[in-house]
Amino acid sequence: MAVADGWDSHCHAGTKRHIGGMGGRGRVVKLWKKLSLITVTALMVSMGAAGAAAIYHSALYIEGKTVESYEQQLKAAAYAIGKELDYEPLAGFQEATVNAYYHYVLQKFDVSSYILLEGDKEVCNMTPFVLANAGDSRWGSEEGYSAIQQNGGRYVLAAGRKVPVVGEREYKLVLVRDISAIYADIRNQAFFYLAVYFGTALLAVCLVFFMTKRTLGPLQELQQAAQDISGGKLERRARVGARDEIGQMAGAFNRMAAQIENQVKELREESERRKLMLGSLAHEMKTPMTSILGYASSLLHVNLKEEQKEKALQHIYEECGRLERVSSKLMSLIGMYENDRIEWEEVPARALLERVSLLEEGHCKEKHITLTYECGAEKWLVDEDLMISLLLNLVDNAVKACQDGGNVTITAQGRRITVRDDGCGIPKEEVPRLTEAFYMVDKARSRKAGGSGLGLALCDRIAGLHGAKLEIESILGEGTAVSVVFERFYPFIRK
Amino acid sequence: MKILVIEDDTAISELICMNLEAAGYEACPVYDGLEAQKKLKEADYREAALALVDVMLPGRDGFALMEDLQRVSMPVIYLTAKDDVLSKVHGLKAGAEDYMVKPFEILELLVRIEKALQRTGRSRDKITVRDVVIDLKEHSVTKAGARINLKPLEYELLVLLAGNRNMAFSREELLRRIWGLEYMGETRTVDVHIGQLRKKLGFHEVIRTISKTGYRLEDWE
Repeated sequence: MAVADGWDSHCHAGTKRHIGGMGGRGRVVKLWKKLSLITVTALMVSMGAAGAAAIYHSALYIEGKTVESYEQQLKAAAYAIGKELDYEPLAGFQEATVNAYYHYVLQKFDVSSYILLEGDKEVCNMTPFVLANAGDSRWGSEEGYSAIQQNGGRYVLAAGRKVPVVGEREYKLVLVRDISAIYADIRNQAFFYLAVYFGTALLAVCLVFFMTKRTLGPLQELQQAAQDISGGKLERRARVGARDEIGQMAGAFNRMAAQIENQVKELREESERRKLMLGSLAHEMKTPMTSILGYASSLLHVNLKEEQKEKALQHIYEECGRLERVSSKLMSLIGMYENDRIEWEEVPARALLERVSLLEEGHCKEKHITLTYECGAEKWLVDEDLMISLLLNLVDNAVKACQDGGNVTITAQGRRITVRDDGCGIPKEEVPRLTEAFYMVDKARSRKAGGSGLGLALCDRIAGLHGAKLEIESILGEGTAVSVVFERFYPFIRK
Repeated sequence: MKILVIEDDTAISELICMNLEAAGYEACPVYDGLEAQKKLKEADYREAALALVDVMLPGRDGFALMEDLQRVSMPVIYLTAKDDVLSKVHGLKAGAEDYMVKPFEILELLVRIEKALQRTGRSRDKITVRDVVIDLKEHSVTKAGARINLKPLEYELLVLLAGNRNMAFSREELLRRIWGLEYMGETRTVDVHIGQLRKKLGFHEVIRTISKTGYRLEDWE
């Protein structure tokens, strides 16, 4: 989600840039910063928690150990004092003497840290503290009792146990010690740990930021590449060497860019072709238009003789016919460009050739041309109308090329249909350009014969739709052979 | 006066010839470049006053023909379907008098021919319409040998109509050409001057009123 947000807002900034500069860019949070922040936060929280737990545990441990050692000390002292203490000989002595005796016994051990209780009565206190609850029976427990008391910023440990003595008197020994020092130690340790923690964290932050930035760096290159491409530099590719997901993404991105570049190139070429065709069309329309306009205006404004008037009308009629032919051929050409819809039918080859020769009969008779066909194929899977139109165009061209009394033959053999004439032929260097729209080898002748310059372009297109190719062979002065050669759809032509 | 028409499209060639003849010129059509080059060696063709040349010609294109035409110092007007500045500049730089892009108005072509002829000093000295002779050098008009007095504007109107005989001019066209663009007068002025010409020259039948168009001086030589 975070990633999507990042890209989203970035795109926004990108579009804005075109209108109003860099506005909105400041709001973009860089992905590498986000990732680094997340990582660092997680790292610091976990490190902090672990550190706190460790310090707490070590504090408890030190405290426990200290208490235990003092309890040991107390136990030892109580045992030793128990050995020394013997009340019997003291019976009958004055209290001061007895106290002095107690004093003497305790002094043998640690002078400043013991309080001796006899029953509930404090008999000797060597410490600077006063025992507030001397009557508490816990001080006399067999296994010992200890408590830590906080007192004016100082920590005091009090531990008591029964002194094992012979006789009916009951003695309790209480050890009182200021243990503030160990808490100061713990605090020092915590401070030290905190210092280490912050130091490590700082280092980690730097490391994480640096590494994340490095890892995500290619994204910036990718973004720059995308921006360049949308700015029209279609040949631009993202230069990302990483072998991670970003690298894969860059690879996919580059493939997409290549695809787009290709398609745009194709579109440009196509529109260039159409522009050229439109240009030729406009040019081609001008000549008949000039005639029609000129003759019409002459008829309107000029005092023409009767026979001139007739001639003018005749020319207008012919030129209109020419325009009509160009436009209808053009319509079929454009129609085919727009929807490549073909009605595939199985057509008997012989019947198709027969229809073509029938349709051309009148045309051939005018010029005393013999049209023959040979059929070595049985059925074709083609669009019948388009195929007839193709063959008619080829035969038309052949007839136009022939002198009076020439020969035109149609041969269908295997995957090849050839229309051959023994007419004037075409210069070699002109052959490659024959299928361009509006290209005519001999303009004057072609126009006289009613050519539009579109016939072969149309044939080429129809052949293309059938997965076929036009092959033109010509020898100047000897004749021309135009073949439709099926390639991809060869299996559909059955012998 | 002869004019060469070098144009491969027969329809356009005939159109031009038809109109040139109607306007009182003699038109010689030639249909391709090589033929034109050959014909230019014949005296009959060399004495033509001007050549109208299509640029896209079979055999030898119009620009290539310029050399041959200049050798016999024949003024050239190019006619072409190419409407780009470069080929215009090319044509004019090569020495053409003028350049016309198809489709063109016949009347405009005739006017440009006339101007080109004037510039090259080949315009006609005299125009004859029936028994009326207009002497373009003397600026005088005689009918059956007798001098006719015409006002300057009447004279110019007569020259225009007689020079483009059989062509119809609208009243606005005549106003523009004779009185000039800045003249804000009414088309009635034209009618008055035409009336004067008809009366002075006895041209009631010759200068015809063409309905919806204007006037035309009709005369086939």
